[in-house]
Amino acid sequence: MISLKINGLNVSVEEGTTLLEAARFLGFPVPTLCHTDGLTPYGACRLCVVEIRQGSKSRLVTSCTYPAEEGLIVRTASERVVKARKIIIELLLASCPQSKTIQDLASAHNVRRQRFRQEYEDCILCGLCVRYCEEQMMAKAIGFRGRGENRSIGTPFDVPSDVCRLCGGCMYVCPACQLRCTYTEPEKAVCGGCANLSPPCIEKEKFDDMMCYMDPCVACEIKKD
Amino acid sequence: MKRLSTVEEYNDLRRIILDEAKEEKPCIVISAGTCGQASGANDIIRIAKRYILENGLHEKISLRITGCHGLCEVEPFIMVEPAKNLYPKIKMKDVPKIIEAVIKNKVIEDLLYKEVGHNGEKPCLSILDIPYFKNQTRTILSKNESVDPIRIYDYIRHDGYSGLVKILNNPTKYGFEWIIKEVKKSGLRGRGGAGFPTGNKWEIARASGNGAAQKFIVCNADEGDPGAYMDRSLLEGNPHSIIEGLIIGGIAIGATKGVIYVRCEYPLAIKHTVIALRQARELGLLGDNILGTGISFDIEIVRGAGAFVCGEETALIKSIEGRMGEPRQRPPFPTKKGIWGYPTCINNVETLANIPVIISIGAKEFAEVGVSGNTGTKIFSLVGKIRNTGLVEVPMGIPIKEITYDIGGGSIGKAKIKAVQTGGPSGGCIPASMFDLPIDYDSLSKAGSIMGSGGMIVMDENTCMVDIAKYYMNFLKDESCGKCYTCRKGTQRMYEILEDITNGKGTFEQLDLLEELAEVVKDTTMCGLGQTAPNPVLSTLKYFRDEFIEHIKYKRCPAGVCKELIGAPCQSACPLGTEAWAYIAHIKHGDYEAAYGVIRKANPFPSVCARVCTHPCEDRCRAGTGGGQSIAIRALKRFVTDHVDPAIYKPLKVVKTGRDAPKVAVIGAGPAGLSAAHYLSLRGYKVTIFESENKPGGMLISGIPPYRLPRDVLEKEIESIIDENVTLKCNTPLGKDFNIDDLFNKKGFKAVFLAMGAHISQKLNIENEDTEHVYTSMEFLKSFHLNDKNLARGRVGVIGGGNSAIDSARVALRQKDVESVTIFYRRTRQEMPAFEEEIDATIDEKIKIELLVSPVKIHTKNGSLSGVEFIKNRLGEVDASGRRRPVPIPKSEYIAALDTLIVAIGEQPSISDVSTFGLEFADGRKIKIEKETLETNKPGIFAGGDVVTGPNTVVDAIAHGKKAAVMIDRYLSDIDLYQPISPQLPQEYIEPVEVEEELGKETRVAQPTVPVDSRIQNFKEVEMCFSVEEATKEAGRCLRCDLEFTQLKQDKKDEKESLAAGGKE
Repeated sequence: MISLKINGLNVSVEEGTTLLEAARFLGFPVPTLCHTDGLTPYGACRLCVVEIRQGSKSRLVTSCTYPAEEGLIVRTASERVVKARKIIIELLLASCPQSKTIQDLASAHNVRRQRFRQEYEDCILCGLCVRYCEEQMMAKAIGFRGRGENRSIGTPFDVPSDVCRLCGGCMYVCPACQLRCTYTEPEKAVCGGCANLSPPCIEKEKFDDMMCYMDPCVACEIKKD
Repeated sequence: MKRLSTVEEYNDLRRIILDEAKEEKPCIVISAGTCGQASGANDIIRIAKRYILENGLHEKISLRITGCHGLCEVEPFIMVEPAKNLYPKIKMKDVPKIIEAVIKNKVIEDLLYKEVGHNGEKPCLSILDIPYFKNQTRTILSKNESVDPIRIYDYIRHDGYSGLVKILNNPTKYGFEWIIKEVKKSGLRGRGGAGFPTGNKWEIARASGNGAAQKFIVCNADEGDPGAYMDRSLLEGNPHSIIEGLIIGGIAIGATKGVIYVRCEYPLAIKHTVIALRQARELGLLGDNILGTGISFDIEIVRGAGAFVCGEETALIKSIEGRMGEPRQRPPFPTKKGIWGYPTCINNVETLANIPVIISIGAKEFAEVGVSGNTGTKIFSLVGKIRNTGLVEVPMGIPIKEITYDIGGGSIGKAKIKAVQTGGPSGGCIPASMFDLPIDYDSLSKAGSIMGSGGMIVMDENTCMVDIAKYYMNFLKDESCGKCYTCRKGTQRMYEILEDITNGKGTFEQLDLLEELAEVVKDTTMCGLGQTAPNPVLSTLKYFRDEFIEHIKYKRCPAGVCKELIGAPCQSACPLGTEAWAYIAHIKHGDYEAAYGVIRKANPFPSVCARVCTHPCEDRCRAGTGGGQSIAIRALKRFVTDHVDPAIYKPLKVVKTGRDAPKVAVIGAGPAGLSAAHYLSLRGYKVTIFESENKPGGMLISGIPPYRLPRDVLEKEIESIIDENVTLKCNTPLGKDFNIDDLFNKKGFKAVFLAMGAHISQKLNIENEDTEHVYTSMEFLKSFHLNDKNLARGRVGVIGGGNSAIDSARVALRQKDVESVTIFYRRTRQEMPAFEEEIDATIDEKIKIELLVSPVKIHTKNGSLSGVEFIKNRLGEVDASGRRRPVPIPKSEYIAALDTLIVAIGEQPSISDVSTFGLEFADGRKIKIEKETLETNKPGIFAGGDVVTGPNTVVDAIAHGKKAAVMIDRYLSDIDLYQPISPQLPQEYIEPVEVEEELGKETRVAQPTVPVDSRIQNFKEVEMCFSVEEATKEAGRCLRCDLEFTQLKQDKKDEKESLAAGGKE
């Protein structure tokens, strides 16, 4: 067992436990976007940063990837952490303002404005879908491509994947696109992601920039029936 | 090659190789690293080989092809051993000459490397005489000179593999504990940039996962910083040293497998390494059972695809494993869990190159170089705006200025060095004021930069720091792996903000946001790339915030780089905003009247400026900054003003109606005062100019000699300014006949513009300065220009290096009782503040210039001047002005016999007349004003020209006068003086003329001058006017930077018109 101190409280956890798990175990809220139980921690969204003390210095690390260490002192909501989180949320809001998850996050953290050039993107590249596809579906139908600004998620060479089983899990786990998909008749929701497709995705080309990798689209197939 | 199976066999081989080396024929060495090959070294090699073989000279001379020696500036070059003569930048035709000379044991002096010194050029016989090499400590790089990278025997001959063999020879004494202890003792820190102690890393790697089936040691040769290439040149020039380092490291940590991870962009490095690996394997130095000792170690090359982030160790591991290069969270560190989960130790190329040195010479000796905590040498790649570009190896802890000035040779042109960027995109800028900073890991990170891999990019005044930050951010936003949201989006957002600022759309809120964001990106990203990505922004903000403010508040780019703010560089460089591009275009079209209109609209003194302007436009001209010669803009202006009757231009007048025109007083009839009066008069004000001298013109008449500015030209231009609204009162000095309060209270003036200039000469403050025949330059020039008195006689000495010194000397030369004229200056010609062409003209006129001397004492005989005692100087360290400080050489005093001495060491504003009116002063000598409005602290009193700036240029004075007129108008009309600033961009479209010759090939047309013999006896104008052909040709060289802003609009307009025309048909 490893004992450490989070926000002044002592806690003992098993070796290999992450700081996020330890903090949540104690009931401290730590926001995350790229973390879901059952998928390997990745550390992409940086929202879960916490401040840890090492000797006389302190630094910020992502709690979802950082393993608990003996005697570590952790603060989950220090001034530095809060400031960083607010800027991260502001960046998210500047890129994906239409995501309900991100709007809720902004509201919860009292972020009331964004000062960057407004963009309307559908993806924050958290990689949940990639990990879901690989780890839960054992499919590896989609992955990351490119780097920097040009990083994106998709099937290799944008060719419809042979290994995709149209499970819709990628959309189910997506934090950014949940609200974007609103099916013509919301009651007839099928899968988590396409539950609310709107406008109806009859013509696939129109929605190429959306985060839908299924071909043919499940919702459209149902519509035809 | 026979595989060696024991250490004894190796020693035998080594003995044979060393015996062979004893033959004493000269050797020519050709440097052919990537840099050399790019400059044509392959051709040189071909010619040399052919010449040697065709003439059967191989018995008399040997040839060695090596990697880069470091001085990339002079590639391709040949070095001759054993004399170590260096022939730089050689042409193919020189090669046979050099070979013949070497055989005859001769030196071709013309082709030798020449040191550019204070007194011209001095050839350096040996490379050890060249300051660039002399000031370095070349422990590692020197091997590149003596080793042919594709010959393992060459490496062995120069003590190669001796460290490894030392270990293999006595494995019990020199086991892994000893190696690790020795490396720890040496204090070697990782040369990749972070500076982690190598010995400690090896110790951890040794201890980690004991009993693990496999361990790896990796050489990180993924060198991606723009401007850094020392790793490449080590791999290219001496791959065996890296292999030896890796083997020793492998033995130390217990790894059996080594990996060299090198980027595919380094084909030559890969080629040489592959050859070296094959040779080492064939010789039994690599592979199973090395030299029969039972130790097995092999190395594999992995080629990276060139992603910058793959230099980060966890990303590098992923890349070696064949996955996407993306860092992961540490811990676990690679030394615990690396390639395929096995313990992996990753070292930089340069770190590994140091290992054989430490093992063979011993840690103690190694640690003697450098400073405590930062031992050994470090290779920097010195690039950018510096004279000697290349690789520099110096002991750690030496100050930056030693690298930039002593080794690098300072800046290329007249522009001063402003900053150095260390550590590439992850590093930061160190300003010139901090060049005393020792270069070591800790000092640099304290200053907000990092050591990084050792890139050192020098920037001068023509580099815009905002643009630099933008450049790096552009690089990083592309090269970030994109995993961390704050790194990917953060760099992109920082780039956007910097882009806004460079486009003139930036705000101060954005600047705060930029800083806030930079801090968060630094804090919240996972790997080294993200954590250091904001460094270029943060360090430029820390040291060059004023440049950001210039961009945001004044919409100006001081370095003249940011296009959207600069428009056409000639126009933005001109304090008056003269559209030089426009009148040059009109000249090309032959429309001289239109050209005159453009000039006159901006400048009430076109003919004066056509002769004496300092032409900042030419300094910024893209034809010149792009590596060619700038357009002769001033000479073209002269052409226009000489060919057009000024009367064709009718200035636009505004008539004030409905009330009496308010009266404005202008003090001083110099360029600033006259311009202010002119533009106020056009706005309908009644202006009275009060001048203390007997003639108007200020410095134009009292300072500038008639051979530069003929008096009829000047008088004509002044006359045209004195119109019905302007009254000129000469011989009316302020403070004597009237004072400022009288102007307001008794005489009814509503505003005053102070433009008295800077006419008080500074004194030397040495003994006997008040002796007869010792004059200040203003005293001397004024007596001649205003009162026609010749003060100079006999042997004349002038002290100073500025324009008034040059003017005094040239005026003295033309006076009748003068025998000789000598200028004495305390620094060298390079540092002389006078204009380049004026100094040239002075030398043409056979005026002697004595450099590096300072006056000590004035000697007298019978109460009158007999001579001046000088002391010789040498150049010392660089002072605050960026120039080298003169340091007196003790006991070097000498006396120069002189009959007249003119002291021209600078002028100061004449403010004693206004000192009692409650005005505030800056530096105690200048009138203090609000920069944007020219207001003094007293309402209604404005000031401009030299009286606020100190001695300055004519064009700046005119600009002040012009601005003062606008400000006084706004003041008297009760309008806010502050106005929003927008960049001046070219508006009017002037159709370009098709030019046949290729642009940039044509050279600048020289302005004709009167021959020296017929000019030094009189005061006739020296410079002559272009002919029509010359002017048209010169105007045709203009690159027309304006079209970038006007062509597109014009094309759209044309399209619309043609569409409209088409519609009618």
